[in-house]
Amino acid sequence: MTFVFLMAAREIRASWRRLLFFFVCVAIGVGAIVALRSMIQNVRGDLAREARALIAGDVAIGTNRPWTPELRAAIDRRLSEAPVQERQEAVEVATMVRPAEGKGAAVARMVELRGVQTGFPFYGRVVLQDAREFTHDLLRNRGVLVRPELLAQLGLAEGDRLMIGGGAFTIRGVISQEPGRRAGAFSFGSRVMVDLDDLRATGLLTFGSRARYEILLKMTDGIEPLTRDLRARFRDRFVTVRSYRSTEDQIGDNLTRAENYLSLVGFVILVLGGIGVWSVTRVFVRQKIKSIAILKCVGATTKQVLSAYVLQVVLLGLAGSALGVALARAGLAAIPASIAASLGTERTGLTASAVGQGVSVGILVSLLFSLVPLLEVRRVKPLLLLRGGTTAGLPGPAALPPWWTVAGIGGRLARVDWLQVTVAVGVSAALVAIASWQAASLRVGLVVSIGFGGVAFVLHLASSAIVFAVRPLTHAKGFALRHAVLSLGRPANQTRVILLAVGLGSFFVIGVRSLQANLLKEFSLELSSGGADMFLIEILPNQVDRVRTFLDARRAATSGPARLIPVLRARVTGVRGRETNLGSFDDVRRQGSLAREYVITYRDHLEPNETIIDGKFWTGQPPLDERASPVEVSVEQSIHERFKINVGDVVRFDILGRVLDARVTSVREVQWEDARNGGFMFVFRPGPFTHAPQTWIGILRAPEDAVQRGRFQRDLVAEFPNISAIDVREVLATLSNAVKNLTLAISIVGGIALLSGVLILVGAVAMTKFQRVYEAAILRTLGASTRMLGAMLAFEYGVLGLLAGAVGGLGAVALTWGVSRHVLDIPWRPNPLLAMTGAVITTILVGIVGVVASYDVLRKKPLGTLRAE
Amino acid sequence: MIELHGVSRTVPSGDTMLTILQPMDLRIDSGRVIAITGPSGSGKSTLLGLLAGLDAPSTGQILIDGSDITAMSEDALARFRGTRIGFVFQFFHLLPSLTALENVRVPLEIAGASDAGPRADALLNEVGLAPRRHHYPSQLSGGEQQRVAIARALANNPPILLADEPTGNLDSGTGHQVIDLLIDVNRRRGTTVVLVTHDAELAQRADRTIALRDGRIVGVTDVHASTT
Repeated sequence: MTFVFLMAAREIRASWRRLLFFFVCVAIGVGAIVALRSMIQNVRGDLAREARALIAGDVAIGTNRPWTPELRAAIDRRLSEAPVQERQEAVEVATMVRPAEGKGAAVARMVELRGVQTGFPFYGRVVLQDAREFTHDLLRNRGVLVRPELLAQLGLAEGDRLMIGGGAFTIRGVISQEPGRRAGAFSFGSRVMVDLDDLRATGLLTFGSRARYEILLKMTDGIEPLTRDLRARFRDRFVTVRSYRSTEDQIGDNLTRAENYLSLVGFVILVLGGIGVWSVTRVFVRQKIKSIAILKCVGATTKQVLSAYVLQVVLLGLAGSALGVALARAGLAAIPASIAASLGTERTGLTASAVGQGVSVGILVSLLFSLVPLLEVRRVKPLLLLRGGTTAGLPGPAALPPWWTVAGIGGRLARVDWLQVTVAVGVSAALVAIASWQAASLRVGLVVSIGFGGVAFVLHLASSAIVFAVRPLTHAKGFALRHAVLSLGRPANQTRVILLAVGLGSFFVIGVRSLQANLLKEFSLELSSGGADMFLIEILPNQVDRVRTFLDARRAATSGPARLIPVLRARVTGVRGRETNLGSFDDVRRQGSLAREYVITYRDHLEPNETIIDGKFWTGQPPLDERASPVEVSVEQSIHERFKINVGDVVRFDILGRVLDARVTSVREVQWEDARNGGFMFVFRPGPFTHAPQTWIGILRAPEDAVQRGRFQRDLVAEFPNISAIDVREVLATLSNAVKNLTLAISIVGGIALLSGVLILVGAVAMTKFQRVYEAAILRTLGASTRMLGAMLAFEYGVLGLLAGAVGGLGAVALTWGVSRHVLDIPWRPNPLLAMTGAVITTILVGIVGVVASYDVLRKKPLGTLRAE
Repeated sequence: MIELHGVSRTVPSGDTMLTILQPMDLRIDSGRVIAITGPSGSGKSTLLGLLAGLDAPSTGQILIDGSDITAMSEDALARFRGTRIGFVFQFFHLLPSLTALENVRVPLEIAGASDAGPRADALLNEVGLAPRRHHYPSQLSGGEQQRVAIARALANNPPILLADEPTGNLDSGTGHQVIDLLIDVNRRRGTTVVLVTHDAELAQRADRTIALRDGRIVGVTDVHASTT
C-alpha cells in the first residue's frame, strides 16, 4: 500500500505539468456543473414560483359541478394522506352584473366572478392599480375588486356599488394583475373578485349555473404523485387536477423543457470534460509504458501499478473538482445583480446539493473516462525493455488472416481484450446512469448516450475510411503533404483519438447550439401568438357584419385582422362506430369527459395550426343543405384516440336541444401551442347551423397604447352594449416575461457550454503533441525546416478536424432531431447552416491548435528531446 | 541454480513462424559469473529475457532453484523477480520521474520493506553514488545511471543478477567500472551473475562463456580454472 501511495504522489510530482490539463478538464466540467446547477436551482425555484402564480397554488383540483358530499369526502380522504400544508377553496362563475344605481343601471355586463377565501393567493400577487397592498379585508362585508375595463364599460368608479346576483357590493379597488388567470384560456368576461362566503350568499350557485369549483393546495413534496393519483381516481367524476408543473399548463411545459435542457447541458459539459480526461490519460499511459515495464521488471504486480494510477486519477479528480467549485463560486459571484435579476433570481450563491453533485460527478467521470485507457497498463510487458524500451507504443499485434476466414475471425476474437470490453460496457452503463441522474430522466440519459455511442462508432469507421481514402496521397510530391498523410495511417497513429475527441466534442457543442436555436424558436413562436390579446364574446349573429366593419375601420389602430368565429354549445349523446358504440347518453357518460359540454364551430377551411391525419376535410366543397342528415364533422386527434371514434363513425349531438347525427369525415391534429388560432374538438361542415341559435367570438389584437385601448373598448361597448371584451394583455405580458427570462438563461448556459467545450477540445488536441515531439525532433535532425514541419502538422490536423467536424455536425443534426422529438416535445427544425459553420470552425480550430500547441516542438532544439526519449 | 529443459522460443513473422531460440538444455550453477556471447540476432537477449521470466518460452521448462517459472502467472513472476532476480539493462531504464534514491527504493517498497530508505542509501553508497542520491536520471551520466540501475537490481539482495549488455552504452573507462562493480557483487555477495555481452574483456572476466549463433549454443568455455 505504501508503494501505491508513494508512486501516486511521485507521479503527480513529476508529471504535474502534463496532468495539469487533466486537472483543468475536471475543474471546467465540475465548475460548469456546480455553477449551472446552482443557477438552475436558484432560477428554478423562482420560475416555479412564477408557474405557481399562474394557478395561484401548487395544485388546483377543479370541477364544473358543485362538490357532492360524497365526492368531497373522497377527495378529503386522499388529501389527508398527502403532505398538504394549506388548502383553500375558490369558485368561479360567469354572471351578469350591473350598477346598483345611477343612469348605467340598465346596462348589464357578463363578468367572471371569483369568490376567494382568506389567504388567497398562495403564490403570486394581486396587484391593485393604485399600488395598494391587496388584503382580504378589501373583500369583507360585500367588498368587490374589479378590472378597469368593467369600470369603463359601466361608467363606474371606486366606491360605487355593483349589483351581483341579488346583492349590492361596494367597489373597493381596481385589479391590474391577478394570479390564477391562465393565458389563452377562454373566459366569459372581465374579472370580478369577492369573498367566497359573500358569493355563496348571492344565490348564484344554484343548480345549472355556469360555475367552476376549485380547491387550491399548497404543498412542497409529493405534488406529482398526488396529481397523478387524483387524476386517475376522479377522471370519471368530471374532476380536473392541475399542478404548477402540470404538462397541460403552458408555462409548466416550458419549465420542464428548460429543466431538461439545462440538465442536458450540464451533462454535455461533463462529457466534454470526460473526453479531455480520456485524452490525457491515454497519452499519459502511453508515455508511461516504459516506467510501467520497469516497475513490473523490479517486481510490481499489475494490480499495484494499476492501483497507483487509479489513486492518482482519484486525487486529480478530487483536486480538479475542488478547483471547479472555486471557479463556480467566483463565476457566480461575478454575475452582476442586474443580470441575476433578469434571469429571474436574486440569489447567486452555490447550493450545497450542486456542490455535492459536482464533486461526486467530477471524481466519477475522472475514474470512468480514465479506466479504459488505464487498463492498457495490463498489456505492458517488461520484455519491451530488452528491445530498447521503445515508447512509441504498445507492441503491435502480428498480422492475422483476412477477417472473413475462420482463422481470421478466431484470431480476432482471441485478440479481443474481454476485460477491457467488459469495463467499457460497464463505463457506458455508468455514463447512462450519470446522464439520467443529471437530467433526472432515463430517457434523456439514453437518448444522449446512444447519440454519443452512435457518433463514436461512426467516427471509428470514419478513421479507417480516412486512412484508406488519403492513401493515394502518400505518393504526393510535397514532403509535408506526403508525411502528413503517412502520419494519419502509420502504426500507433492518433487519427482515431483526435477524431473521437474532436468529433464527439463538436457533436455536443454543435448539438447544444442547434437545440438552443430550436428551443428559442419554439419560445418565440409561442410568444408571438399572432398578437391576439383581446377576445370579444356574446356577439350576436346579426351583429357579425357590423362588428367586422367596426373592427376593419380600426385596422390601423388594431395591428392585425380580427377573426370572428361562430360558437355553439353541444353535447355528444351517442356514437355508432366501428370500435365504439354508445347507444344512450348514459353510455356516453360512462366514457368520462366525452359527456362534457363542448364548444363547437363550423367553417369551410382548416386553420394553419391544423393538419388532417385521417379522412378528408371539406375544403373547397359547398356548404351542406340546412336539413342535411347526417351532417359532417371533423374530430380532434385526442377524441379519436381516447374514445376510438374513427372516420366513418356517426356521432349523435345535442345542440341546444336539437338532436342531429354527424358522420366523422376527418381526424385533425391541432397544434395547441399555436394559440393564435385556438382549437376546437369538433368542427362541422357549414350549412346546417346557419340559422341555429349561436353566438360569435372575436379574436383580435387591440391597440398597444393604453389610452387608445381604453377608447377602443369604450367605442365598442357604446356601439354593441351586449358584447363583452376580455383583455388578456397583462396575462400575456406575464407569460412573455417568464419566457424571456428562460431565453436569457438558456442563452447564457449555451454560451458556457460552448466556451468550456472549446477549451477542453483545444486541450485534448494539444495533448496529442506529446506524441509528435520525438518524431519532430528526428525530422529536424534530418533537416526538416520549421515551415515544413508546420505545414505537415497543419495538413494532418486540418484533415482530422474537417472529418471530425463533419461527423460531429451530422451527429448533432441527429441529436437535435432525437432530443426535440422525443425529449423536449417540440417540432424539429433542422439547422444545416449552423452544423456547417460548426464543422468549418472545428476544422480551422483543430488545424490552428494542432500547429500552435506544437510550437515548442517546432522551436525546441532536437537533442534535448532525443536524449529525454 | 538455473536449469533449462528443452527451452525454445518462436515468434510469428508474417505468415510463418520464426525460431529465435532452438530447443536447448542448460544449467547455470549458483554463485558463478556467466557471459552469454554471440552476434546480433543470435538469441542472447531472448535467452536472458526467458531467464528473467520477462518472456515465456514456446516449449520447455525453466527452473530457478527448483521453482518452475514457466508455470507462473504474470503477477507471480513479478513478485518472484522482485525478490529473486535483479536485472540490469543496456539502456539503464531508470524511472525518469524519480530521483536516484527513489529509483533504488522502488523494489524495496514493492516488496514491503520497512527500512527501504536506509537500505537504498547503503546501496547507493556501495556503488559510489551517495552524493548524487537526489539527482534525477537526466542529471546523471550514463555510467552513473548504470550504477544506480545496478544498485536498484541489488535492492532486495537477489541471488541472481541478470545484465543485458550492461556496458554496451558506456565508454570503455566507465564500462570498466561497471564490470568491476558486477564482479565485485558476485565475489562479495555470492550472487549468480548472468551477462549478455559483446564486450570481449567482460566475457573474459566471467567464469564461463556460452556462445550462441542462430539460436543454438555453439560453444561453452570455462574461462577460469576454478570453473567446473
